[in-house]
Amino acid sequence: MSSHRSRLARLAGYLVLVLVALAYTYPFLIELGTAFKTNADATAHPLNPLPQQWSLDAFDALAELDFPRWAANSLVVTVAVTVGRIVSCSMAGYALARLRFRGRSAVFGALIAVMAVPGVVLLIPKFLVLNQLGVYDTYAAMILPLLVDATGIFIMKQFFETVPVSVEEAARIDGAGPFRTFWSVVLPMSKPALITLTILSFQASWNELPHFIVSRQDPALNTLTTGVATLVSGQLGQGNQFPLKLAAALLMTLPVAVVYFIFSSRFTRGTYEGADK
Amino acid sequence: MGRSITRVLGVAGAAGLLLATTACGGKGFDDASAPAQQQAGPAKLTVLIASSSAAEQHAVEQAATAWATRTGSTVEVVAANDMAQQLSQGFAAGSPPDVFMADASKFAGYAQNMLPYGDSLPYKDDIYPSLRQTFTLDDKLYCAPKDFSTLALVINNELWTRAGLTDQDVPTTWEQLRAVAQKLTTGEQTGLVFASEHNRVNAFLVQAGGWVLDDKQTTATADTPQNLQALQYVRDLLASGAAKFPKQIGAGDSIEALGKGKAAMVVEGNWIVGAMRNDYPDVKYRAVPLPAGPAGAGTLSFTQCWGIAAQSHYQEQAKDLVNAFMDPQQQLTFAETFGVMPARQSVREQYQQRFPDQAAFLQGAEHAHGPVTPTAMDAVMADFDAQLQQLPDADPKRILEQLQRNASAALGAR
Amino acid sequence: MSVHLSDRPVAAAAPPRRARVNRRGAGGDGAVGWLFLAPAIVVLGLFLVLPIVMAFWVSVSDWKGTGSPFASSVGFVGADNYAALLTTPGLAQQNFGTSVRNNLYFVLFVVPVQTALALFLAVVLNQRRLRGRNFFRTALYFPTVTSSVAISVVFLFLFSSSGTVNAALGLFGVDGPSWFADPRGIFHLALQGLGVVAADHPPAALADTSVLGLSLWDWLSGPSVAMCSIIILVVWTSTGGYMLMFYAALQNIPVSLDEAALIDGATPVQRFWRITVPQLRPTLFLVLTLGLIGTWQVFDQVYVMSRGAPANTTLTPAYLSYSTSFIGKQWGQGSAIAFMLFVLIVALTLVQRWILRERDRTPRRAGR
Repeated sequence: MSSHRSRLARLAGYLVLVLVALAYTYPFLIELGTAFKTNADATAHPLNPLPQQWSLDAFDALAELDFPRWAANSLVVTVAVTVGRIVSCSMAGYALARLRFRGRSAVFGALIAVMAVPGVVLLIPKFLVLNQLGVYDTYAAMILPLLVDATGIFIMKQFFETVPVSVEEAARIDGAGPFRTFWSVVLPMSKPALITLTILSFQASWNELPHFIVSRQDPALNTLTTGVATLVSGQLGQGNQFPLKLAAALLMTLPVAVVYFIFSSRFTRGTYEGADK
Repeated sequence: MGRSITRVLGVAGAAGLLLATTACGGKGFDDASAPAQQQAGPAKLTVLIASSSAAEQHAVEQAATAWATRTGSTVEVVAANDMAQQLSQGFAAGSPPDVFMADASKFAGYAQNMLPYGDSLPYKDDIYPSLRQTFTLDDKLYCAPKDFSTLALVINNELWTRAGLTDQDVPTTWEQLRAVAQKLTTGEQTGLVFASEHNRVNAFLVQAGGWVLDDKQTTATADTPQNLQALQYVRDLLASGAAKFPKQIGAGDSIEALGKGKAAMVVEGNWIVGAMRNDYPDVKYRAVPLPAGPAGAGTLSFTQCWGIAAQSHYQEQAKDLVNAFMDPQQQLTFAETFGVMPARQSVREQYQQRFPDQAAFLQGAEHAHGPVTPTAMDAVMADFDAQLQQLPDADPKRILEQLQRNASAALGAR
Repeated sequence: MSVHLSDRPVAAAAPPRRARVNRRGAGGDGAVGWLFLAPAIVVLGLFLVLPIVMAFWVSVSDWKGTGSPFASSVGFVGADNYAALLTTPGLAQQNFGTSVRNNLYFVLFVVPVQTALALFLAVVLNQRRLRGRNFFRTALYFPTVTSSVAISVVFLFLFSSSGTVNAALGLFGVDGPSWFADPRGIFHLALQGLGVVAADHPPAALADTSVLGLSLWDWLSGPSVAMCSIIILVVWTSTGGYMLMFYAALQNIPVSLDEAALIDGATPVQRFWRITVPQLRPTLFLVLTLGLIGTWQVFDQVYVMSRGAPANTTLTPAYLSYSTSFIGKQWGQGSAIAFMLFVLIVALTLVQRWILRERDRTPRRAGR
């Protein structure tokens, strides 16, 4: 009897999961299908993800807008930020995990404190600092503030602490300085952590919006996030051209989706580590 | 815990040091008032426009390119996504656009960042005096008014005739407007659509003989019976379903609603001419004067000027570009492409002859009310917009009382 | 979370003498250590620590947005900007009050719903012999990694008045609202629906007393219909991540505990409340506090979807601080809002850390 009941429970579980999975995938199906619809089709059949007749108008229109430029900017910023974070976070993480010097614990404490600072409340002063530095409205302004990520340092520090000390000791006895030990012994062993860091940096900088609102205003510096946001506000006469907007959303989601489906386990691990500071 | 406090203090100290470095390495602190250094010769100008439509953007781009080719300069025309944000960010950053459209309702707030060049214009006296007055502050004309527009009732011809309506049915009173709006409301189609903002709704205030402020714009007059009557009329129209806001019918704006046949009539300004030609070239429509209210005919007028940033390094070149925009023939080209009325009196007759379809807009100019301009009223009018969005569920009396309270506070605080 | 420094085992393993040799030989770990940390310290100092100081200064100054906020012409105005938001009746106070109300309802709805939903899904997902677990996990977590801008665009379409949601409601004969144009609070709607009060004639006792520039009646509005669509969006986006946290924690519960209860004849529901929930307590705290911290920062969705409209009912303090500064040019007030939000979020974070630190010290409690 009890096995009968548990089978029933499992069936109910499946039912719930299927319904929830539908609620989670259907919006993406709508996004995908509507991108290939005509404007009229999109508003006439909002529930059906399949276009009545396939159309590439939305993509043509996007190409005519500055979409390629936005994508290029997003790419430039993302690559620069990711490379920068790999270097800065692994160096800092190593120093905090392995190098002994006065003030280390103070720096670590400050880092923990800084991780709590919410990004959105710093929009105004971040703009002021960038302006004061004379870099406002440049790529530098968009990239520099994102180059270091406290959570990334934390992930690297935790990883380095798991590397056996004996490896480094051996290198040091051979006369290698801390820098060479780090570069040619420790880093090559850190691939898993570096991949996690790369993925998290890529995702975070690709999706970043508020920082790009306040660090630039030249439309030529629009990233995908700020650019697509201007499409939506409709002041440029896009009105209710939903296929255009959804095509833009679709294209900006694709790179993250590809990386996600290849490395999905690393994404989820990143959440724990990022959250469970 | 004690240790972490010392840490925080240490970090704060480090920040102080950084601040000092910033001060030396970056821009100086007292650079605000220094006049921008001027450069002669070919310029690199940025023009920020609040475009009413793609048509307007193209027209300005064409005019700017022509000027650039003639003078060997380069001009970048940028359509603002959010004019107010982009301008204030630009002024704060010390890198505003050289030339920008300043709306009459916002102009006073930008004046301290603008080059007051208007009085040196050779054609100054050719500009309508009321427009000059709008952009004059402390007896200085700050900028050249680029054109002006008024609101009219714009009707979709096909939907009109389909409902069995004829020329005789064109509404001239509030009662008639209510009747035809009701008649034109069927299923997916709404009789009358207008944006949920004071820049449309206030026209009804004028028709009822009311307004937000007194003529000198120093005292709030929002809670008068005239205004209440107007807002109640608007509320009733919306409550009956014969009138709706664009968002309520899934349209981005009134023009889209008209173009797609979701609205039979809309309250819009001259710019609808360019937008319709661009986006809905096959839709036939006509513009008629807004129906008169209890106090007679009334509409709103809008104008913008070509502001030049005080921080621009190419002020002479910028002035030259503005002169090109203000050229009488260019004014008529703008009028043709996006419907606005020229700011220069000398081309009034030519405008009338060439665009008889737009007579309603020009006619409106005679009983049009200009925008609320004091800077302090900016936030007040934004809040008024927010309250209007609550119609028809909100109480008009409360809305006006709140407007009165806010306006009095804002004007008193000046 | 552990602040215990892990150099101890290293120091223990390495004899002090050798360490000293190393330090001299490499020019000292000190210099190298600071060198390694330099990029991080400079960037975080310039763009995280310095901005906090600057935000505070601007919030007590009368800076107008032109030139440097440190110029000699900028004056110190003490708590004026804070007073304008908190104590002086007027538009600024009213807008701030409205944004706080909106965000309170946002928190009140999002945090419990996403926590409960995440826990529920994790429990379902944790059933033994479940097929397709990876698929479900992947599908449910995907929105969390997707750009908030892209998701907002999709939801604008789903919730437009002729959009997917209303079409789906139409299948059931329900005439959906025009979501993003509807400023009516759902509590108000409910009261009207029950015939308790009429919309334009609220009870005088509530309408005439006001707190933070907002009448009590307005405080009790509930989230507007427009805000509800943002609430749904955020719950939809963030549940997946929290579900994974619960799921990981569930996997750590010893099976023996559950089995013991099973032998005692406890029903599944009893087992859930008596064993699973107490075991999950630390994760529950984590999810709740992370949720609280996150929901007070909502900005992207408001910026993309509504910019506070309709009728300011989707205005949040984070967006208001932005718009007050960058659009309204009231930099002092905008910074004051930002600073208050900063203090609130830091306080929430401290509470979270304090609770979790307690967890680190005490060993896992067995189910009572």
